[in-house]
Amino acid sequence: MSSFKPHNNRAWLGVLPVVLIVAFSAVIPLMTVVNYSVQDILDLNTRFFVGFEWYRETLNDPRFLAAFLRQVVFSLTVLMIEIPLGIAVAKSIPKTGRLTPFILILLALPLLIPWNVVATIWQIFARPDIGLLGVGVNALGISYNYTAEPLHAWLTLVAMDVWHWTSLVVLLTFAGLTSIPLPFYQAAELDGANRWQLFTLVELPRLRGVLIIAVLLRLMDSFMIYTEPFVLTGGGPGNATTFLSQHLATMAVGQFDLGPAAAFSVIYFLFILLFCWLFYTTVVKRDES
Amino acid sequence: MARITLENIGFHYPGAVQDTLSGLNLEIANGEAHALLGASGAGKTTLLNLLSGLLSPTAGKLLFDGQDVSQLAGHARNVAQVFQFPVLYESLSVAENLAFPLKSRGVAASQIAERVDYICDELAISPLREHKPGALSLFEKQLVAVGKALVRADLSLVLLDEPLTAVEPRIKWRLRQTLRKVQEDLGVTMIYVTHDQTEALTFADRVSVLTAGGILQTGTPAEIYETPGHEFVGHFVGSPGMNFVPNSALNVSMGERLGFRPEWAVIDESGPVQGVVTRTRVQRTHDSIPYGLVTLATLHGELSVRGATDIEVGTNTALRVHRYVAFADQQKVGEGELV
Repeated sequence: MSSFKPHNNRAWLGVLPVVLIVAFSAVIPLMTVVNYSVQDILDLNTRFFVGFEWYRETLNDPRFLAAFLRQVVFSLTVLMIEIPLGIAVAKSIPKTGRLTPFILILLALPLLIPWNVVATIWQIFARPDIGLLGVGVNALGISYNYTAEPLHAWLTLVAMDVWHWTSLVVLLTFAGLTSIPLPFYQAAELDGANRWQLFTLVELPRLRGVLIIAVLLRLMDSFMIYTEPFVLTGGGPGNATTFLSQHLATMAVGQFDLGPAAAFSVIYFLFILLFCWLFYTTVVKRDES
Repeated sequence: MARITLENIGFHYPGAVQDTLSGLNLEIANGEAHALLGASGAGKTTLLNLLSGLLSPTAGKLLFDGQDVSQLAGHARNVAQVFQFPVLYESLSVAENLAFPLKSRGVAASQIAERVDYICDELAISPLREHKPGALSLFEKQLVAVGKALVRADLSLVLLDEPLTAVEPRIKWRLRQTLRKVQEDLGVTMIYVTHDQTEALTFADRVSVLTAGGILQTGTPAEIYETPGHEFVGHFVGSPGMNFVPNSALNVSMGERLGFRPEWAVIDESGPVQGVVTRTRVQRTHDSIPYGLVTLATLHGELSVRGATDIEVGTNTALRVHRYVAFADQQKVGEGELV
């Protein structure tokens, strides 16, 4: 470094537009929520500062803990199905060929459907009285009713999420696979590698980047799931499929408990951040070692 | 190691109008370092893929030690290949990478260790053994890739596909020396595919010049350079390539056209081919010895000769040829000297 240091801060002006946009789109709304979370709001003019009271209450609320646990189980379940399934499907798509574009378009279709439409489709599809799936399963002699049985509601939700989102993993993985240069396959073949070694030693390491993205996207999205269970099961039967978002919406909009709902939101946000951060750092750390 | 024989090899891509390769004959001795030299589009890659087993010839036979391997897959042919860029297993260490081709063939652990040690010594990469490829330089990675190709003791053939392309020029020379030394130490049969004549001529025992799907000439680097069998070979090999003049220009009756290397002629005002100096420059031979090169514009096009670069551009002068190769219908028909 040279000792000459120009005193000119005009470059900060260049950053200003970004600061303003980020402030209005993220920081200010977030701070409003943080502000609410430390107050008890009785009406528009009456409010008290209550410190961390709402946080303490939320973290000790058995309904919150139950919703949180359901949320974790749900996210892990769909991740554990969608990632391996997505890789398996991507591997079975021919890399070149006349059919490939059609397969890709077909796979992308579920991603283009609005979320509440997806849920409506499945709500009708799985109905035991008129839905193709519901009637079909019952006709096989298996009693199935997702509106009455918590397990059935869960299975239906997981199946719907897998149907809706596996394509995303497939498309990402397929893009990753096609970017592996041919010589890597040739070398493995000449080395006498079997198919499993080809997958674990050549393909998986080279898919690492896209798979990290896929896991992060699916983790965040599934953790914030709202529309589909809301339309499909309404959180029921009972509270069996009430996930964090829906619980939050009930508190904030249904009961107008703005303070506790704000504290809930902040906790929720921090959890997602923590999850993603933990995942990313462990994966990237391992990468660097 | 094996003796490699190409018998009338031809290849036709499905749906293509023309054969990519046709009527190729070549015999490569056991332990020979052979270079396939050709411009892009000459069919080098196709021939390489035929040898490695990625493709099977649509005509003719490929023999390893007299055994027909034309229809065998690559791993069954006992072939290894070094690619244009280092191809390694990134999650495995250098030692594991080197051991991999042996392990997947069920070689005993003690033997694997012995071979890996041997290759590490030979390529001087022992200090890198425990590193992952990600931590190595491009040059080191390519060395490891070479090691991985050479690690199997029962190899028939090692293919090198322009292995120096990705390596920076400063290091090219070192890697080529290493390759050459290892090839001699191990006595492996190697086929080195390249479009770079310097690489081909300095690396190989024998060179085959490939163009438009056929082999024009096979010979030692000296034969290729001094007695090209075809006008294209004379033109393609050497920088600049051979000069060509009609035989009447030098009062020779042999052939139709005469080719001569820049160093086979001198600037001489009383010479038979007159011209104007258009440029002068200093060139280097492949072993870095500098020499002057003078280019004259003549009746027969631009001709380059070796000579002192202190001659002015625009000077009217002439050149005298003392050695030539005669061609008729592009084929070599003879050679001679002039006084």
